[in-house]
Parts: sequence; structure tokens; C-alpha cells
Amino acid sequence: MVDVFSYVPAIVLLPFFSFLIALGAGKYLPKGGAFGGIAATAGSFLLSLWVFATVAGGQTYNATIYTWASEGGIGPTDIELTFGILIDPLSALMLVIVTLVALLVHVFSLGYMNDEGETGLPRYYAGLGLFTASMLGFVVADNLLMAFMFFELVGLCSYLLIGFHFREPGPPSAAKKAFLVTRFGDYFFLVGVVAVLATFGTAQFAGEGSFPALADAALNGSGSVAWIPGGLELQTWLTIIGLLVLGGVVGKSAQFPLHTWLPDAMEGPTPVSALIHAATMVAAGVYLVARMFGFYALTPTTLAVIAFVGGFTALFAATMGVVKDELKQVLAYSTISQYGYMMLALGAGSYVAATFHLMTHAFFKALLFLGAGAVIIAMHHNENMWDMGGLKDRMPVTYWTFLAGSLALAGIFPFAGFWSKDEILYEAFIHGLNDPLLLGGWVMGLLAVPVTAFYTFRMVFLTFHGEPRTELARDPEPVRWNVKGPLTVLGSLAVVAGLVNMVPVQKLLGIEGIDLLTRWLDNDFGGIDGVSYSAYNDLLATHGHEAAFLGVGETATLLVAAGLSLGLAVAGVLVAWKLYNVASPTEHTAKLGGLKDVLYNNYYLDELQVWLAYRTEDAAGGADTFDQGIIDGVVNGVSSVSLFGGSRVRQVQTGLVSQYALLLTLGLVALILTLGVSGGWFL
Amino acid sequence: MVPIEWYLLLATAMFCIGLFGVLTRRDALYFLMSVELMMNAANINFVAFALYYGDLTGQVFALFVIALAAAEVAIGIGIILVLYRNFGVTDVTVPTEMRW
Amino acid sequence: MSDTNTGRLGRLVPAAAVGLLFAVMAVTVLSADFGDFSEGLEAFEGESVVHNIGYALFNLGEHGVATIPSEGFLAAFLIVAVALDVALDGAVYLAKREEDGSIVSAVGQAFTDGGRDGGER
Repeated sequence: MVDVFSYVPAIVLLPFFSFLIALGAGKYLPKGGAFGGIAATAGSFLLSLWVFATVAGGQTYNATIYTWASEGGIGPTDIELTFGILIDPLSALMLVIVTLVALLVHVFSLGYMNDEGETGLPRYYAGLGLFTASMLGFVVADNLLMAFMFFELVGLCSYLLIGFHFREPGPPSAAKKAFLVTRFGDYFFLVGVVAVLATFGTAQFAGEGSFPALADAALNGSGSVAWIPGGLELQTWLTIIGLLVLGGVVGKSAQFPLHTWLPDAMEGPTPVSALIHAATMVAAGVYLVARMFGFYALTPTTLAVIAFVGGFTALFAATMGVVKDELKQVLAYSTISQYGYMMLALGAGSYVAATFHLMTHAFFKALLFLGAGAVIIAMHHNENMWDMGGLKDRMPVTYWTFLAGSLALAGIFPFAGFWSKDEILYEAFIHGLNDPLLLGGWVMGLLAVPVTAFYTFRMVFLTFHGEPRTELARDPEPVRWNVKGPLTVLGSLAVVAGLVNMVPVQKLLGIEGIDLLTRWLDNDFGGIDGVSYSAYNDLLATHGHEAAFLGVGETATLLVAAGLSLGLAVAGVLVAWKLYNVASPTEHTAKLGGLKDVLYNNYYLDELQVWLAYRTEDAAGGADTFDQGIIDGVVNGVSSVSLFGGSRVRQVQTGLVSQYALLLTLGLVALILTLGVSGGWFL
Repeated sequence: MVPIEWYLLLATAMFCIGLFGVLTRRDALYFLMSVELMMNAANINFVAFALYYGDLTGQVFALFVIALAAAEVAIGIGIILVLYRNFGVTDVTVPTEMRW
Repeated sequence: MSDTNTGRLGRLVPAAAVGLLFAVMAVTVLSADFGDFSEGLEAFEGESVVHNIGYALFNLGEHGVATIPSEGFLAAFLIVAVALDVALDGAVYLAKREEDGSIVSAVGQAFTDGGRDGGER
């Protein structure tokens, strides 16, 4: 039997080769490197399916591929820096998701980029290939340092792809903003990585020698850590490490306050937005926390922070999505909001709910972005929803798939989003009954539900329903199979993906075994010891993270929570229906008056960050003065001493022979005196 | 016999007088004359030591020096001629081109 | 000519330097110990250097007539002759002038007319 795990590096390397090919030979290839990219991602997808099947059969893989810095006494312990592969249920699932979405985006790009006659296609497909390779490398990483390296690589690819149309003023600026804001978070992440390496001597995610296991042992008292900075307790230090790594997560997953880059990232081509800023790169942060969950479970403070930030972001971004006029902007804020939900789930301790929502969100958000891409192609790149309308009759495939995605996003039964979002809110609720901070997060998440439903359906109704408001909306550009195909695939996934984890049905009807995802992540199909849902639950319980139920019992609690979230979602849809599902909708959000301006300007947070950047520049001015004045001054001073000295000393050379003779005489006298006195024969 | 110190003192005195001339004189020809004086002081030294050591090498060397001094003066006057041609005067303080 | 000023220093500084040098060398000479010179002085008692140079010139040194070895003088004479010859040529060359494209020597106009045709003298 062929060992599939020896082919895992191929999953990462195939897109990398398509990157090289597109870069080197792209302009000679017929579609600018597209077929190479499609072939590579299809190959990676098939390999990922094979890996998934193998893991379902009970095998896992956790090995080091290459040691690039070996024991030589770095730091307090001998640390080895390695590249390795970790395949367990979580990473196998993520591999399938990432490769599937990447494949569909590559196919879609044929329609979006090639058919639209875009230039610079080799660069585009090279960027997509490198991104896919980096993301897959991140997913299979077995240690934190390797994960960090690939984390940075995906950030780089995001920069390259957002700034694809670099000759216009918007995209390069947006690319810089994305890179810098995420880089700011990644700085804390890097400090966290170094802290992990210094404290535990290893950065492995799973296995016996992994740092979550070591941390747990140290807290139990059955082990110890190599180094703690002076004076801190172990628990405090672990919390600090968790918060440092969280910095990178907050940046990459666009949580408050580092969320400002994501709406601007919509300047990139829509397939890029679908792949990177909806389904995969922003998922990297949440995936990282899920990967390290054994470590985060030990620090309830960090979990509470994560939950609160997540819940807050969910509500905060949803409010901003309500007033936007452009199609992709609404989807961008929706992404920020949904990742807030995932963070809320992680903070509540429900690793399964977060992963579930990650999966369903990847599918339906990619679907929504690709659908938006289809609309954008049809409307000749005019994104303003107020110029659209009535597209449902003219673009039926796009409409029905988009509607499926929107129902999933809004969380309507039985679409995918309902199951995952509902589970998140339920878990947040039952854990929040013991923890006020978590309950606050739950309340904010719950409030975001109707707002989400409202802005989603506002978007749907403005774009597809009503009467066409412009000529182009009356007669849009048709789209081809390479656009409709991926939409159909994702549309069906948005409908059925939720069925893999129908926990409420299981609990209400008592049917066992249909919560497939929970069982998958609980190592029911096989997995690595200590990296499973039950193991995490045990850790959480040990650290005081208990679930509670309303006095009436579990089933009733479930019904109340589910009913509440579904009811609010439907209410939001109905409000949007009433306001916008008319022949000629008006801009109702204008009635909010000044509030609308605040929301439209994103609570002026972008301006705040620019202001902060300028203040940093001022503060940096002091360092600059020090560098230029003192350090450069010392160096220049040395040279000026030399120059000044030289200019004075050279005046000895007057060109006057008599003076030279005089100097010779004096020199001779001095020589005789010196030799005589030191030789003892003079006097 | 006369103690050798006298000869050496005489040579020293002549040398210093010649040196004073080199340092002070402006006209190139006087400069050359002072240089001659210095060379003659050295000659006295050579001959004095030749006498006191009984070795004729000193006298031979002095003969060399005299002849070569003459040769050097010949060349020197040629150079002064060129100097006069280029600068118009034989004043050694005038040509100060080779300086900073 | 009493142009002893070097322009910038006057005569004081050179005089001081020279005086200092004289003082130093005089002190050195007077305090030096030269040892006994009696042997050297006897070598020249009653001998004539010039006679011996003559003997050396005619290669009579081997026959026991010469008392002082003076071949060094002969070498000196020869080398001096060559050096003076070179010096003379050098001086003449340096003294030549270039005027109107043709080389004119310092004594050109005194003895010849430099090859000009006709003209008044």
C-alpha cells in the first residue's frame, strides 16, 4: 500500500511549481499559467482527499521533514528548528477545504481574469500558486516557527495579489495597508514564537514533546519549563504567551482593532478576495488558535479575551456592513463579523463549533464572493448596488447560488450557516452562564445575528430584486461556465455542508452518531493523542471552564437558544424584505442621519490608525535625531577631525625650500638629542 | 698633535655657517655657494679622520666629494637657468608651486 | 646682496636653529671618546702621498717602491672624470633654450647666427 503521507509534501509543492512555471514561462503559456495552476490545485485536492480518507481510516502523521538548525546550544536548552508535517483530523479537513476553494477560484479566474482580457496574468497565477502553496504549508505545519514562516508568506502573497492592479492608485495603497496592519500583529506573534521556543525548548504542536503537553505538565506540577522571565508565575507567563500569539491572529483574521485592512483589500481582483480574504488566509488565524488549542485551554484569561474580542467584532463589523453601498464592501465586513463568531466560539471553549463555522463560512463566503464576481463581470466592474437591480431574471444561476449563500450567511435553517452559527451561540451561552465576560460576548454575538441577516438580504434584494436601475442592469454581460461551475459547486456545499454536524437534531431526537464533525475532531476516526475535542474539554474543565444549563435542563436550553437565534435571523430577513424587496428601493439607511456617517466612515477607525501612525512617526523622529545627530555625528566627527587635522598639517608643505631645510635641521637636532639621551652618550 | 676635536669643531662650525646660508639666502646662486660650504665642512671631517686613523680612504673620499660637488654645481646652475627662464627671477622663495 | 629675508621667518629662527645644531654637535664631539690615535699618525711620518700616487699610476706598487697603498685614488680619478663629463653635458643640455620652435643654445647668438640667411649682424 502506498504510503500517502510521503506524498504530503507534494500537496504543498504542486502549487509552488505552478508558481514557478507561471513566473518563468507564463507569458508563453496559452492562458498565462492558468492551466498549470488548475492542474496543480486539482492535484493537491485529490491528494488531500486521499489524505482525508487515510485519516478517516485511522492513521495520522507527525514527523519532521528537515532540520535546518540543530542542537548547538541555542538559548537555555538545545533547540532544534525544523520543518515538519502534522496530519491529523483537523489539518486533513483544512487541507480539503483549502484545496477545494483554491481549485474553484482558479477555475473562476479563467472567467474573471482571462475572459475579461486582463493583462499581467502570469503574475496573477504565480501569486495564486505561491499563495496556495504557502497556505497549504501553513496548514500542515507541525511546529509554531514553521507556521509563522508560512503565515508571513501568505501575508506577502496577499500583498502581491491585492496590489495586482498596481498602476492604479488604490490597490498599491490597500496592499501596503494590509501588509502593514497584519505585520503589526505578526510582530507580537514573532515575540510569542520566540517566547515559546525559549520557554519550552520546542514549538511542536502535537505529540508527547509538544509545547501544549509540556505546558500542561508544568501546570500540573509533573514537569517544568526551561525558562520563565524573572518573577512571573507560570500561569501568568503562559497567558502572556497566548496573548502575544493572539496578536498575529487578530491581525490576520481581521479582528478589532486590526480589522481595518480587510475592507480595503477588496481592491484586489474578486477571485483573490474570495480565496484569500474570505476562505483561507483570514482563516489562518482561527486555524492557528484551533491548532494550539491545547495550549490556549490552559489559560482561561486568554480565552475570555478571545471570546470578548470576537463577540465585539461580530457586532461591530455587522453594524458597519449595514450602510455600505458596494457589493464587496458588504461582504468584507461580513467576513470580519463571521470571524468574530469563530473567535467567540474558540473563547467559549468550543473548538468544534469554531472549526465547523470555519468550514461552512469558507464555502458560503467564497460562494458569495464568487457570485459577487459574476455580478461584477456582468456589470462591467461597477460594484455599486444602487446601480443594479433586477438581476435575478437575467442571471439565474448566479442568483440561486448567491441566495443559497446568503441564507447560509444569515443562518436560516437548514442551510449550512444555521447549524454552525447556532452551535457557536449555544456553546457561548452555556459556558457564559458561568462567566460574565463570555456572556457579554454571547449577547453581542446574538445581537449581531439580526444585523447580519438584515445587511445580507439588503444586499440580495438591492442587487437581484426590484427593477433594474441602470441600462447595464437591464442588459448585463453574460457569464460563462467557468464562472457558473464553481458557483454551482459551492452553492450545493452551502446547502448541505451543515448536515455534517447537526448537533441540535442529535440532542433533540436522541439520534447518536450524526454529529460527524464532532466525532471527527474527537479522534473517533483516529487521531493523535491529546489533540482531540475531549482532551481539550478535559483541560478546560480542569481550569475552571464549566458549562451550565438553564434551570430547565439541557434540551430546553438548546431549544431556547436555537429558537432565539433563528427567530432573530428571520426577523432581520423580514425587515430587509419589507424595506428593500420593492420595485424601487430607497436608501433607508439615510434615515439614520449622523449615525450613518459614522458607520459609513467605519467609526473613523481608519483615520485613527493613520493618526497613530503619524504620532509614531513623530516619536520615531526622536530616534531619527539620535541616529543622525549622535551616531552619524560621531562618524562624521571622526572624519571631520581627520579632514581638519589634515588641512592644518598640510600647510607645513609651503613649497619653500628654505623652510624645508629649516625643518630638516630641527629634525636633525631632535634626532641627535633623542638618540643621545636614550643611548646615554650625549651628556 | 692637534687634538682631533678641533678639526671636528672647525668642520661643525663651517657646516653650521653653510646651513645658515641655506636657510636664509634668497638668491639661488648664494644658496648653491652655501651648499658648497657645507660639503667642504664634510671634507675637512674626512681628511681629519684619514690623518688620525692612518687610512687613505678618507682622502680618497674627500677627492670624490670635491669632484662630485663640482658636478652637482654644474647641474645646479643649469637648473637655476631653467628656473630663471620660468619664473623670471632667481629668488628661491618665488617658485612655490609644489605645495598643498 | 643682502636679501637674507626668507619672507616669513626673518633671520632669527634659522639662526636659532643653526645655533642649536652647532651646540648639540659641539657637545657631542667634545664629549666623545676617540681613544688613542698614536698608531695612525705614525703611518704618514716622512711619507709623501703624492709620490705614492705617481708610483701607483705607473703600476710600480708591486716592486716595493710604494709605501702607502693609493690605488683608491686612481679609481677616484677615473670615476671623477666620468662624473664631471656627465655633469658638463647635463649642464649644457639644461641651458639650451627653445625659441620659435628651434633649439637655441645660450651662446647661439654670440658665435653663430643660428643658421639664419642673410641679415645684418
